[in-house]
Amino acid sequence: MTRAILILAASAAVCSGAALAQTPLETAVKAAYLYKFGGFVEWPATAFPTAESPAAICLVGADPFGALLDQAIRGQRIGGHPVTVTRLDRVDKGSPCQILFVSPSPRQPVAEALERVRGAPILTVTDGGADGASRGVIDFVLRDNRIRFRIDSKTAGEDGLSISSKLLSLAVKP
Amino acid sequence: MTQAAASTSRRRTRSTVVAAIAAFALVLAGLLVAAYNEGAFKAQATREAQVQADILAASVTAALAFDDEGAAQEYLNALRANPEVEAAGLYASSGALLAGYRRSAGQVLPVRQIKPAAANSEGHIIVGAPVIQAGEVLGSVYLRTAAEPLSGRILRYAAIGLLGVMASLVVVVLAVFNAGQRRANRALGEANEALRLQIEQRQKAEEALRQSQKMEAMGQLTGGVAHDFNNLLMVASSGLDLLDRTADPARREVLKGAVRQALDRGAGLTRQLLAFSRRSPLKSTVVDLAAQIEGMRVLLDRSLREDITVRIETAPDLWPVEVDAGQLEVAVLNIAVNARDAMPSGGTITIRVVNRPDQEIEELDGDFVELSVTDTGKGMSAETIQRVFEPFFTTKDVGKGTGLGLSQVYGFTRASGGDARIMSEPGKGSTVALYFPRSTNALAEPVEEAAPTAPLQAPAGYRILLVEDDDAVAAAVGGMLSELGYRHVRVANATAALEALESGEAVDLVFSDMVMPGVIDGVTLAQSIRARWPELPVVLTSGFSEAADTASREGWRLLAKPYRIDALAAELAAARAEASAKR
Ligand SMILES: Nc1ncnc2c1ncn2[C@@H]1O[C@H](COP(=O)(O)OP(=O)(O)O)[C@@H](O)[C@H]1O
Ligand SMILES: [Mg+2]
Repeated sequence: MTRAILILAASAAVCSGAALAQTPLETAVKAAYLYKFGGFVEWPATAFPTAESPAAICLVGADPFGALLDQAIRGQRIGGHPVTVTRLDRVDKGSPCQILFVSPSPRQPVAEALERVRGAPILTVTDGGADGASRGVIDFVLRDNRIRFRIDSKTAGEDGLSISSKLLSLAVKP
Repeated sequence: MTQAAASTSRRRTRSTVVAAIAAFALVLAGLLVAAYNEGAFKAQATREAQVQADILAASVTAALAFDDEGAAQEYLNALRANPEVEAAGLYASSGALLAGYRRSAGQVLPVRQIKPAAANSEGHIIVGAPVIQAGEVLGSVYLRTAAEPLSGRILRYAAIGLLGVMASLVVVVLAVFNAGQRRANRALGEANEALRLQIEQRQKAEEALRQSQKMEAMGQLTGGVAHDFNNLLMVASSGLDLLDRTADPARREVLKGAVRQALDRGAGLTRQLLAFSRRSPLKSTVVDLAAQIEGMRVLLDRSLREDITVRIETAPDLWPVEVDAGQLEVAVLNIAVNARDAMPSGGTITIRVVNRPDQEIEELDGDFVELSVTDTGKGMSAETIQRVFEPFFTTKDVGKGTGLGLSQVYGFTRASGGDARIMSEPGKGSTVALYFPRSTNALAEPVEEAAPTAPLQAPAGYRILLVEDDDAVAAAVGGMLSELGYRHVRVANATAALEALESGEAVDLVFSDMVMPGVIDGVTLAQSIRARWPELPVVLTSGFSEAADTASREGWRLLAKPYRIDALAAELAAARAEASAKR
């Protein structure tokens, strides 16, 4: 990934506040980040039934990525596990997910989806959550025209996830 | 005469070549030491830099994965804590620079990722490390450190430079020496040869040193030895120059004495080095310490300064001891020179030899003879006393001390079945006491009286077969033989010598070098001659103490190199006398 694709066009910056109105570039970056987070997170052993069980990235709500995410994860692994993408219309504790990207949807509001999976070892990711209740463990934000993220390490810990300090050091302060 | 002149000039050329080789060997030794240090240092520093780069690479994985330049920059800036890091960079897998750190504005940082191996340069250590996350190479880290603080480098290179300068001085002095020599008389030819022989000796000493493989110590040592040799070469060369310019016989005597003394010191130094490297085995004989020390008076006076008084007190009826007389001399000189150095503004050295009945010395007990040397110098601290016998331990400046003096003393006394002790206090002078066990063997009869004597000058028409492989040495020895009135034929090796004898070459004595190229060495030649021509006297000569040892063990007449013309005269005369007594 080069710096070029990260320096977003000024036009993108203008509408950065709206999660749904983003440039394809921004979306591609987020798609890549989504699986890259996996490299800096440790799940409890129970999260994967076997060593070959896939690490599933689940999407719930509106899908901003489309084919971009499937392309980004092709051939990738998280902690040795092959990465798959699963699109769900709603989630709960039992959902077979390791990473869950939660988008607003009529079927299940963000806050509710997050509430449903609380306590399960699932790394929740949201994009520009307005308040604490609608932000996942990781929440994308835009800073200086760059895609950055907040990290809620307290919730991560409660869910049984441990996030590498290397990743924590990159988090923007809430 | 023209022939003699030609051979003399050949000899001079040869001396210069030998000096050049010696100088080269010196520089090489210095460079080896430097290279070794440099290598060891570089390896260590490279390892350290690599660890830093690895840590950095591991720390920036997330920053690189999420293209967080700010975080990457912070990691790189943290390197400021390490003053050795000159520059560091973080490169994306495309090779583009993502974040960089430069200690000062003057430092350069490659704009694109480069291979560290290809980039290693003088004065810097450059390492790289891949940034790997979950098996995927995200990019790489570049780290450049200063190889060493500048002051350290300057010091080290100055040391090498100094060696180089010394080496060139040796060459220059030798060249000057040779120029002076060209106009000098025959007596000087002898001095030149002696000097050349000593340079040869010194090369052997260097060889011996290399064998001792004390690379670290060698730097120090080479410095000291080069300094000493250089000094004596200066003395010799200026002496010869001055000899050329004066016709006053008294003045000439003084100058010759100075040159002779410088050469003696060089020989002493070589002996000391050889003794240190333990290539010269002890040749113990029963000696009377009082006589030995008395015999050293002149040597001591020469080696010390005028403001130093030497007192020798020997008890009557001293017991005989068994020691190597040469080593004893070196040991006493070493102690005396230390005493001299400890008394920069003069003082007294007292050498005392007394019987010490019923002593317990270390693990030994019985009768000992004690040889002590007491000075009125600055004395030693307890810490120094602890370490004085260690090889290379010295408190003197480079070029002044080698730290080998007292280790020779210790090694020699222990090898002689005795012990060495130090008694000293800062400001109160020092005493070095050597204990030698009493020998039950009787003193050897003085050789001069028992051996038949012959006049030193050669009988008319006396012919010697000179076996010597080295042209320069052969020329020099040939010159000495002619001077003594001998006629000689020279062959270059033992096989040629046997052929000459077989073909009926009429010679009265064979004078042969011991270590020569070819299938037969000097001892074997001597044995064949004894078997076939038992009446023909053989005298061997060698500069190698091991070879010399073999020869004297087998009972051959032996003249140790380097020798003076009177020693050669005496040895040849003794061999002649022995041969005519047998007949
Ligand atoms: N007579 C002495 N008085 C004071 N110090 C001495 C004396 N003899 C030896 N030393 C100390 O012991 C050290 C080692 O001596 P030595 O082995 O002869 O090496 P070097 O003379 O080359 O330094 C000297 O550097 C000096 O510090
Ligand atoms: Mg000394």
